[in-house]
Amino acid sequence: MIELQGIEKTYESGEVRTAVLKEISFRVEDGEHVAIMGASGTGKSTLMNILGCLDKPSAGHYRLDETDMVNLDDDALSHLRNHKIGFVFQQFHLLDRATALRNAMLPLIYAGEYPADAHQRGEKALAAVGLADRMTYKPSQLSGGQQQRVAIARALITNPAILLADEPTGNLDSRSGAEVMAIFQRLHRDGRTIIVVTHDRAVAEHANRIIVLKDGTVAEDQPVAHPRDAEAEAIALAEKEVTQ
Amino acid sequence: MRIFRIAQEGARALASNKLRTFFMMAGTIVGIAALTVIMAIGKGAEKKVMKRVNNFGIRAIMVTAGGGKGMSPPQEAITTLRLEDLEAIRNQISGIEVLTPGVMKRGTPIKAGASQTQATVFAVEPEWYDAWDWYIQSGDPISAEDVSTMGRTCNLGTSLTRTLFGDTSPIGEYIQIGNTRFLVKGVLGGKGTSPMGTDIDDRVLIPLTTGMRRLLNQDYISYIRVKVKDPKDLTEIGDKIREILHERHHITPPQEDDFAIVTAADVAKMARGISGTLTYLLAALAGLSLLVGGIVLMNILLISVGERKKEIGLRRALGATQGDIFRQFLMESLSVTIAGMVAGSLLGWVASVVLARVTQSPVVVSWEPFALALGFALIVGVFFGVQPARRAARLRPVEALR
Repeated sequence: MIELQGIEKTYESGEVRTAVLKEISFRVEDGEHVAIMGASGTGKSTLMNILGCLDKPSAGHYRLDETDMVNLDDDALSHLRNHKIGFVFQQFHLLDRATALRNAMLPLIYAGEYPADAHQRGEKALAAVGLADRMTYKPSQLSGGQQQRVAIARALITNPAILLADEPTGNLDSRSGAEVMAIFQRLHRDGRTIIVVTHDRAVAEHANRIIVLKDGTVAEDQPVAHPRDAEAEAIALAEKEVTQ
Repeated sequence: MRIFRIAQEGARALASNKLRTFFMMAGTIVGIAALTVIMAIGKGAEKKVMKRVNNFGIRAIMVTAGGGKGMSPPQEAITTLRLEDLEAIRNQISGIEVLTPGVMKRGTPIKAGASQTQATVFAVEPEWYDAWDWYIQSGDPISAEDVSTMGRTCNLGTSLTRTLFGDTSPIGEYIQIGNTRFLVKGVLGGKGTSPMGTDIDDRVLIPLTTGMRRLLNQDYISYIRVKVKDPKDLTEIGDKIREILHERHHITPPQEDDFAIVTAADVAKMARGISGTLTYLLAALAGLSLLVGGIVLMNILLISVGERKKEIGLRRALGATQGDIFRQFLMESLSVTIAGMVAGSLLGWVASVVLARVTQSPVVVSWEPFALALGFALIVGVFFGVQPARRAARLRPVEALR
């Protein structure tokens, strides 16, 4: 369970104070699939950083499973990120010289106890995103969609409560994008909490709920009656490619 | 172990950029190699010094007739060093264990049967053996009775024995020194060549009195050999002997001495003097390489922190603490210097062996330079690694990921 209460974020440079987030409050229940939407400059990246415990709000409270992260020190936040949050970035952020398997296993290094079955977990996570046959490939040998799927495997390896994705389809063609969104929908069906930050309504409509940010405040918070089916879209796009 | 896995991450980063890693290592390699060579040379030089001092006698002082510096042999034309000088030294200075005079005559013709050669004759007292720590290997030494009776007996050095008698035992045989017949009583142990390259086994010992009165007809001696009780007193006793001889020979500096005093301490000092300069030069080079290498290492690491901002940000997002990042970069720095130390030690070791071959001088490779090198590698690695590691750790994850 995620609960934001009166979150504010202001940046100061010299005399100028810029309020990026103003009084943001909402709750995300376990197992929800939420999209946070907004044009660039509306503070969605800042909100994403706060949700990911990468940055602290200037005011307000952020509870993650009853823990208020505002009171935690840097080490505790690192621990929280490792255990509770899985990140998926627009630019994938894979280590260029490491194999898919090693990239997927990376968070385990920073998990208090290094699990004895780290390799099996890495292999399982990659298999879950359909990359069982690409374990030893380096990022440069993989397509964009495959790289993003490695990143998803990495995000899932510590079995976090929340999957946090920042423009996950931003660097992908539409078919790969649809495939990534299909993975998110499948994870959602399995009960995982998913938050996708995007500027693209079509992407957002794969979620069950859309929160729209405007000028640092929540402008809109609506459930999606009929989320788009990413799986079907991916199949349709694949067929179109074949016929072309 | 988490630290082990973090070190592994650092090692992987190094392995993935080999050229950069090599540049980071270069200074350490040169510095450590120089250090290893210095220590090998230093040890070799010290071994040489110890050998010279041992040959000279570690508790010995030589007072030789004739001035001059260094270890020049006695000048046979100088007639001022006398047995009375020796008595004065014996009466006025304490701390001396053995004190014995000697007369030496180079190039004396010696015959045994049909064999004929030239050798150095030493006219000595029975204390000679103790004074030089040089003893008889077979037969008997020159005795007090030989000296008091002006006996015509002698001891031969091994080289001279070989020249005159080949492989047969000379003991009980007679040789002719000048025009006088001497009974061979014993053979001295072999010592080999001196550091100057002369064969010191090419000698014959006869009683002092026989040499002075019967053979050479002279009332002066060539040298006084002193063996002190405690090597700490070498210089002090040497100075006292000089004072006594100045007084007895009516010499006031800066008037030139008609004698020379060399102590074991002087021998060590002279032998060390040559290698010392070279050692300091190389030590300066090693220190400079380590310093420059360390600075280069630090700068490359700092650049690499800048280049790897994204990686650092990613690791932070995935749960790395500031400490984890700090340790990873410090490990990278340490791995570089330790690897540089291993390479440098090997290089230095090879260089030392080659140097030993080329210069024909002793070079001793021992474990100490490796221990010292490891110490230096750790110090350089930590000292120049901390700053970049701290900078990496302090990057804010949000900014690093941007």
